[in-house]
Amino acid sequence: MHFPGKGKKDRTLLKSQKKKNSSPRTRRGKLVSAGYLLPSALGVLLFFVLPFMIVIFYSVVDNPISMQFVFFDNFVSVFRNNAFKQAARNTMTFSLVAVPLAVVLSLMLAMMLESKIPFRSQFRTFFLSPMMVPIASVVLIWQVLFHYNGMMNEVLALFQKDKIDWLNSSFAQVVIVVLFLWKNLGYNMILFMSALSSIPKDILEVAVLESATPFQIFWHIKLRYMSSTILFVTIMSLINSFKVFREIYLLKGDYPYDTMYMLQHFMNNTFSRLDYQKMSAAAIMMAVVMVIIIGILFLTENYFGKDVEG
Amino acid sequence: MKKNKKLLTIAITAFSAMTMLWGCGKGSGSEEETSGYVYVPEYVEMDVECNYINSVAAVGDDVFMNTVSWNEETGESSNALYKYDMLEGKGEVLPLALDENSNVNGMVGTADGNLLMVVNIYSYEQDENGEITDYHSEMELWKVSAEDGSVAESKDLSGIFDDPENTYVQNICADGQGNIYLSDGDNGIHVVDQGLNKICDIKLENWIRSMTASKEGDVYITTYGENGLELRKVDLTTKKLGEPVEGFNGGYGNQEFSVGATKSFLVDDSSKVSVFDLSTGTEEELFKWLDADINSDSVTQRGELSDGRVWAVTRDYSADGPASVELVLLNRKDASEVPQKEKITYGAMWVDSNVKKAIIDFNKTNEKYRITVKEYGNGVEDYQAALTQFNADLTTANCPDIISLSNVDFHMYVSKGVLEDLYPYMEKSGINKEDYLENILKAYEEDGKLYGILSGFYVSSTLAKESKVGDKTGWTLEEMLEFAQDKDPESVFPYGSRSSIFYYCIYNNIDEFIDWESGKCSFNGEDFIKTMEFAAKFPEEYDYQKEREGLSARIRSDKILLMDNSITSVQEYQMITGMFGEKVAFLGYPNSERKGNLIQPAGGCMGLASKSKNKDGAWEFMQVMISEEYQNSLVSEHGNSYGFPIRKDALEKQFELDMTPDYYEDGDGNKVESAKTTWGWDDFQMEIMAATQEEVDAVKKLIDSAEKVAGSVDEQLVNIITEESEPFFKGQKSAKEAADIIQNRIQTYVNENS
Repeated sequence: MHFPGKGKKDRTLLKSQKKKNSSPRTRRGKLVSAGYLLPSALGVLLFFVLPFMIVIFYSVVDNPISMQFVFFDNFVSVFRNNAFKQAARNTMTFSLVAVPLAVVLSLMLAMMLESKIPFRSQFRTFFLSPMMVPIASVVLIWQVLFHYNGMMNEVLALFQKDKIDWLNSSFAQVVIVVLFLWKNLGYNMILFMSALSSIPKDILEVAVLESATPFQIFWHIKLRYMSSTILFVTIMSLINSFKVFREIYLLKGDYPYDTMYMLQHFMNNTFSRLDYQKMSAAAIMMAVVMVIIIGILFLTENYFGKDVEG
Repeated sequence: MKKNKKLLTIAITAFSAMTMLWGCGKGSGSEEETSGYVYVPEYVEMDVECNYINSVAAVGDDVFMNTVSWNEETGESSNALYKYDMLEGKGEVLPLALDENSNVNGMVGTADGNLLMVVNIYSYEQDENGEITDYHSEMELWKVSAEDGSVAESKDLSGIFDDPENTYVQNICADGQGNIYLSDGDNGIHVVDQGLNKICDIKLENWIRSMTASKEGDVYITTYGENGLELRKVDLTTKKLGEPVEGFNGGYGNQEFSVGATKSFLVDDSSKVSVFDLSTGTEEELFKWLDADINSDSVTQRGELSDGRVWAVTRDYSADGPASVELVLLNRKDASEVPQKEKITYGAMWVDSNVKKAIIDFNKTNEKYRITVKEYGNGVEDYQAALTQFNADLTTANCPDIISLSNVDFHMYVSKGVLEDLYPYMEKSGINKEDYLENILKAYEEDGKLYGILSGFYVSSTLAKESKVGDKTGWTLEEMLEFAQDKDPESVFPYGSRSSIFYYCIYNNIDEFIDWESGKCSFNGEDFIKTMEFAAKFPEEYDYQKEREGLSARIRSDKILLMDNSITSVQEYQMITGMFGEKVAFLGYPNSERKGNLIQPAGGCMGLASKSKNKDGAWEFMQVMISEEYQNSLVSEHGNSYGFPIRKDALEKQFELDMTPDYYEDGDGNKVESAKTTWGWDDFQMEIMAATQEEVDAVKKLIDSAEKVAGSVDEQLVNIITEESEPFFKGQKSAKEAADIIQNRIQTYVNENS
C-alpha cells in the first residue's frame, strides 16, 4: 500500500534529524568522546597494530640488517624447517589433547560440585589452589616429582617397574598435559559453575516435570545455555595451551627433549639468534591458524547456542 | 563523516609511526649532543718524586698520598706524605717519621681534620746464610696532623685483635663521632673509640669487600649477599650490621665507595662514577670514565670535593717502564663549552683494557670523531639478558658503529649480515693485507671477506713431549683418546677434573659432531660415547690438597703427559721447553682436520657494523689497531709482551729483539750476556736468555699452524651437554642413554639453525 504523504513526512523527519545531528552541541559531544577515545586508540595502534605491521614487514625481508624484500621465501623456508615442523606438530598434539581434556574435565568437576556433595567448598578451594602458586615453585615441585630420581619413579619402583626419564622421553608431553590440567582445571571449573548457576531454574523445573532424564536435561538444556561459556573456556584453554612454553622453558630451557619443543621455543630461539624473519613468518602462520580455529569455534557456538540467546 | 574518520585514522597511524621512528633514530651517528654537561679532566702537576704511592686518603678538599722512595745508593726506602690542596691547587711534601722497617697499612681522614694511619712495624733476625730466623711484627695506630705530618699520637693495636701477629688490617675507617673501625682479613670488624676502648666486634660470614664512611658520618661496608653486592651499615646501637640498603643494586660488579661531599657516597663501578643518596636510596650517574678520557683500569683512588668536582689518582702500568702516577681533577662543564665531534659508538659486552686505552688516545687526538662506549655486560646480574639486548640492538637503529667480537658468536653475526667486509676499507686506507699474517686474517674471513680485526693474538694449544707424540701440529679426537685411553688419569693432564677434560675434548671440536650441510648430528655416535667414558675416569673434583711433586718434575718424569696452555711470547715458549726439559710438540685441541691450535685475540677484536651510519668514522678508529705505529707499539723491547702483533714486520721486529742478547760488564770489564728476565711456573724457574733461531722458528711454526679462532661455541650447546652428561657421570644412566638425550636435544638446535 502506498502512502505518499507519509513518505514526505519521513523525508522531512530525516532532514530535521540530520540537522539535529550536526548541531554544534552534537559536534562538540563527538569531539569530546573522540578525545576520550584517542589515548586508547593510540595505545592500540602503538602496541598492537604497529608491532603487527612490523612483524609482517620482517616476515617478507631476508634479515633485519639488510632488509631485502624476499616475498614469501621466509614462509617457505620456515615451513620446510624440521624444527618448525616438530614444534607445530607438538603444539598441535598438545592442544588437541589438553584443550578438550581441560574443557571436559572442568565441566565434569563443575557438574560434580554443583550437586549436593559434602565438602563442596573445600573441593572448590582445592582445585583453585594451583592458580595461586607461583609458576616457578610449581615447576620446582614438578621437577622433584618427575626427575629421574624423583617421586614418580620411586612409586614405580614399588611396583617393580623400571625408571622412566619423564622429562627426556616420549612421556614428556604426558607430564606437560598433566601439569597444564592441574594448573587450569580450577579456573575453568569456576567459569562453568557460574554458567551453570545462571541457567533459568524454571526451564529446568519444567524439564523435570516433563519427565526429562538428567542426561536429556544436561544435553538439551544445560549444554545449550552454556555454549558461550564453553566457547570462552575453549578459547582461553587454547590460548593457555600455547603459553605452556613457560613451564617447559623453566623445566628444560631453550632446547628441551623434542616432544616438548613448542612453537614458542622456535620463535624465542630464532629471536635470540637474530632470525627475526623466521620468527615473524612462524608467528604469522600461527596467528592465521589461531584465527581459523577461533572462527570455527565461533561458528560452532553460533550454531549450537543460537536458540537460547536473546 | 566516513572520509573524516579515515583521515583521523591515517593521521593517528602516521603520528604513531613517526613517534616510533623518531625513537628509533635517537642515538644514531650524529653530532654529539650539546645539551647537558660533561666532565673534563684536568691533570694536576704533582711536584713529587717517588717510586710508588702506597695509600691515598682525603681530608676535606685535601688529598694525601703516602709516597715511598727508594735510595739506590744506601739501599733504603723512605716514606713521605704528599699533600695536595685541590681547591687552592697547591701541593707540598710533608715528612713522615717512619722507620726503615715500617710501612703504612691503611690511611683515612677523620672528622676533626687529621689522618689516621695503621702502621706495621716489623723486625727480624738473620742467620749467617741470610735466612730470616725470627720475624716479629706489630701494628700501631697513628694520629697524624694534616697540617705538618707530625705524629700527634701513636697507640699499640695488638689489644684489639685476638691474634695480632697474624692479623692483617684490610680497611680502616672513622665515623663522625671519632670512633675507629678496622676490618681484618678474616671477615671481622673491630670498632674502638678514640682511646682504643673496644665498642664491639662483629664477625661476618662473607668477605668484607670494602668499608667507607658516609657523608652523614656513619660507616658502611660492602659484602656479597644472596643477590650480589650489598651495602650495609655498621650499627653501633645494635652492635650488628644493618639490613642491606634499599635502592643500591650492586649486582656482581666492582663498585668502589668513597665518602661523598654532595650526596652520601661517591660510587665507582669501574665503568661510571655516580653519587648515592642514602636518604632516598637513589643513585645518580655523574659521568663515564671513558667519556672523561680516563681508563678506569688505572684509577686507584677517587673522591668528591665540596664543590662537586671529582678527583682521581691514576696509575698507568706499561710493559717496559715504571708505573706513572697522575692526579686528575674532573671539572663539570656545560656540553656546549667543549668542542663538538661526530659520535661513533663502540658496543661491547665489556671493553678490553687495551681497547679502552686506544679509545682514550683516539678521543684525545682526533678532532672530528669521538668514540663513546656502550658496555652491556659489565656488572650485570643476568649476563644472558644483557647478551640478548646486545644482539637485539644490532638489528635496530641503536646498533653500535663498532662491534666488539670478544665473547660473542662471530659466525652468527657474519651469517646475519651484521658485519661489514673490511677489505675495501683497508684498500681505501692504503693498508696492504699482505703486510699482515695471512692465517690470522683468514680466521676472521668468510667467503673471502674480512669481518673482524684484532691488534694482537696468542695461541692456545695442547703441549706434549715430542719424543712421546712425534713432530705433529694437530691430532684428532680419536688419536687423542688412543694416546690417553690406557693412561692413569692422574698422569694425563695437570689439574684434570672430569668436567675440564670433557670440556677440553668436546668444545673446541664441536663441529666434529655436527654436520651443518646435512643438518645431522652424531652425539650418540661411538666417538662421543668414548669421550664421555674417557672423561668419567677422571675425578669429579681435582684434589689440590694432595701431596704431589712440582709440575715440572712430574712432566720431566712422564708423570704428566699433556698440558693445555697458551703461548703469548717467545719467552713463554722458552720457559715451556725448559719446563719439559726437551723439545715440545704443539698438538692443539682435538680436531677432525688436525687444526686445533687456536688463535686467541689479545687486546680486543672488533668488527664494523653494516648498519652503522658513519662507517668511515668507525673505520678511522678501527684502522688504528692495525696501523704500523700501533703494531710497533706492541713490540716489547724486553720480550715480555702479552701476545704477538699481527703485522708481519712488527712480529719480525719482536723476534729480532727476542734474539738480541742483553749484556752486562763484569768486574774485569768484559761484556757478559745477561738474562733478559726470569720466568717461572710452580716448581720451575729459569732465566730467559736471548732466543735462538731454532726457538723463534718453532714459535713461527706454531703461529702458522693456528687457523681457527677459539671460543665460539654456543653456550646453549655447552649447557645441554653439561646437563645431560651429569646423570652418566653420577652413574645414574649409561653413556648411551645420556648420549641419546644429548643427541635428541642438540638435533633440535641443529634443525632450527639449518
